[in-house]
Amino acid sequence: MTALAARREEARTSFAGRGLPTRRVEDWKYSDLKSALGEAGLGEEAAATRIMGLPQGLEFADLADPHAPAWVAAHLGTLARNAVSESSLAFAEGGIALRVPAGQAIATPLALELSGKGHLRLLLVLEAGASLSLFETGDAAGPRNAGIEIVLGEDASLDHVRLSRPVPGVQVEEIALSLAARARYNAHFASFGGKLSRTELTIALEGRGAQAQLSGVSVLGGDAHADITTHLIHATGNTHSTQLFKKVAGGKARAVYQGRVTVAKGADGADSRQTAKALLLSETAEADLKPELEIFADDVKCAHGAAIGDLDADSLFYLQARGIPEADARALLIHAFLEDALTNITRDDVRGMVRNAVGQALAALT
Amino acid sequence: MSSPAQIETREAVAEIGDKYKYGFVTDIEMDMAPKGLSEDTVRFISAKKGEPEWMLEWRLAAFRRWLTMKEPKWARVHYPQIDYQDSYYYAAPKNTPLKQSLDEVDPKLLETYKKLGIPLNEQMALAGVAVDAVFDSVSVATTFKEKLNEAGVIFCPISEAIRDYPELVKKYLGTVVPVTDNFFATLNSAVFSDGTFVYVPKGVRCPMELSTYFRINASETGQFERTIIVADEGSYVSYLEGCTAPKRDVNQLHAAVVELVALDHAEIKYSTVQNWYPGDENGKGGIYNFVTKRGDCRGDHSKISWTQVETGSAITWKYPSCILRGDHSVGEFYSIAIANHFQQADTGTKMIHLGANTKSRIISKGISAGKAQNTYRGLVSVYGKAKNARNYTQCDSLLIGGACGAHTVPYIESRNPTARIEHEATTSKIAEDQLFYCLQRGIPQDEAVSLIVNGFCKEVLQQLPMEFAVEAQKLVGISLEGSVG
Repeated sequence: MTALAARREEARTSFAGRGLPTRRVEDWKYSDLKSALGEAGLGEEAAATRIMGLPQGLEFADLADPHAPAWVAAHLGTLARNAVSESSLAFAEGGIALRVPAGQAIATPLALELSGKGHLRLLLVLEAGASLSLFETGDAAGPRNAGIEIVLGEDASLDHVRLSRPVPGVQVEEIALSLAARARYNAHFASFGGKLSRTELTIALEGRGAQAQLSGVSVLGGDAHADITTHLIHATGNTHSTQLFKKVAGGKARAVYQGRVTVAKGADGADSRQTAKALLLSETAEADLKPELEIFADDVKCAHGAAIGDLDADSLFYLQARGIPEADARALLIHAFLEDALTNITRDDVRGMVRNAVGQALAALT
Repeated sequence: MSSPAQIETREAVAEIGDKYKYGFVTDIEMDMAPKGLSEDTVRFISAKKGEPEWMLEWRLAAFRRWLTMKEPKWARVHYPQIDYQDSYYYAAPKNTPLKQSLDEVDPKLLETYKKLGIPLNEQMALAGVAVDAVFDSVSVATTFKEKLNEAGVIFCPISEAIRDYPELVKKYLGTVVPVTDNFFATLNSAVFSDGTFVYVPKGVRCPMELSTYFRINASETGQFERTIIVADEGSYVSYLEGCTAPKRDVNQLHAAVVELVALDHAEIKYSTVQNWYPGDENGKGGIYNFVTKRGDCRGDHSKISWTQVETGSAITWKYPSCILRGDHSVGEFYSIAIANHFQQADTGTKMIHLGANTKSRIISKGISAGKAQNTYRGLVSVYGKAKNARNYTQCDSLLIGGACGAHTVPYIESRNPTARIEHEATTSKIAEDQLFYCLQRGIPQDEAVSLIVNGFCKEVLQQLPMEFAVEAQKLVGISLEGSVG
């Protein structure tokens, strides 16, 4: 058995032992995965992944290939794992592995579409000094479980934008990252929910000077659910992280944000800021925020803020006083509320696409 | 890089050692229940207290329930498995008939109080404090009864209340913290040996601050008090609770339950200064403090305010909460938690907004030094009917030295679009520039630190009644003596 096959086998055993998380597992308190999936569970089907034009300079490997290159074996299944990502590792038949060789700057964004149902797996390796911009879209036709691993070498830089379409079913994904010294991860997650939709990020800032900037918006209506759960680990000193998540929920929707920032012992000079805000538009919507700090070093700067509320009455009055009808004024303020979190998207064209999707979702909501 | 000041701090921390000045044992003969926990223990306690049948049944039901429950493990505290059979559940100083005057009280006991600095004498009149001193389970001396009687305020040991006011006790006991609430509360329901009962009648403003000192004295006994405070319509009461425990190597369990009920337009202010023995600098010994405290703002426009200064205990597991049931009711939580050496504190609050226009405010200041772990864990939950609910939360943590931990775990849940919840938290160390500023002006390091830490805690300290504020300020200094620099 190859090392990879052994790792998959181990994941299969581990998942069989742990099973799917229930609401009694604290991290899944606001997302009842087991009952959303019902009897069928996540199944053992493998999902589809599509790459729209492989930009030049990018290496591709099929995870199903028993003779996958050494860099695949070196990384696949080596980052943080939990019960759900064990199952994607165990059941995804193959999947995609991509590598940007050292020093390569890929100018063309990589467009990736994740769709279909079942398990899928993605491995992305940026070697030292490499850079890439990843634009991801996708939907799920049924229960889907994506396990994504991203390895950033020293000075590597990745821009990552996820634009999900609203999905009817259950969608969970586990994104694990490891960042070497001075590596940079800049990501935005635009989410419109599903029956149960959860994106979980575990980001290990392993090298000094590594930094992660996360932002995200969710616009939810009907009985949509969207959960973004992050875990930032400042494993060494002089690491930076920022998070800004904005949520709007109407109908009977439920918006969830759970963010944990861990500063390891001795990680002096860690700097972390975390903000999560939610706006409820109906009597039946719900927002649950849990920004968590776990700090084992003293020379750190860590702050978080969270707020749930209505639109600011003063701002609304200001606009109305200038002759803007209430409905328009409200819409304007909601857009402004979300726009704040879009500024983190570096590419104008991508930001435009996200803004459009947000606009459509808001129009459907109000 | 460590600055000279930090290095000095760490050295100073190492030296702090045996500074627990309340670590002495009073040698008084104890009346004990046999070791262990069974229905017989429960019956023993109930019989000792001369309780009516209904109370015994209530206890036994709780005990049977407890047998089916599991000890909670979710808090960020670590301790070896507690052997509940290896402890005494009842200990009372012998010859306990209530004394009419202080002269009749065992002089050794008075000595103990003196060391604690409890003003259980003439000075008390000046201080205007009525003390219902709980010395291991049985109230020994109660003062100021008459003055309170005049106002119609009931302030007595709970065992007395069960005997003299059974209807009142029945009406409120277990209505805020149900028997089935949690492992430790259920245990308490089965074996509580004493505590305080307060009832403030309609429209009465309690003429003085009520105060109880709890003290765990006998070795290997858990202390299980049950406190009920009821403020009837339009009344006001301020209650102070202070705790110290002598020094022991074996860890002792303390599982109290406090229930507060505020009816329409009533206000309860509950202040705690807890400086129980935290264990030595190697983490040996100390009190396990697993306490369930909850207030129910049952009436419209009612208000419950918790203020706590937690400097002691090896482990603190405590979440004084407010259920904001009445419209326009207000809940407040002001907390200072200081953990040094190997202390572990997992404390915070819950604000449950059920009524319309309810407001809550949470100010939490956590200070960690040595190898301590200090966690703020809180919940703000706004239910669908809580129109215009407001919450403001601020959690600040101060870290002293690189070996301790400060954690913040807030849960924020809203189901009403008109509610507004704000939460802010920061974590930092003592700012070098502040320290430098003080030193430069000739203020010695220790004083400078005390000054800065007290400044950090100011918003909470100023919520304490005068008598307590002074003690608390001193405690903040003592707890961190030399540990900051």
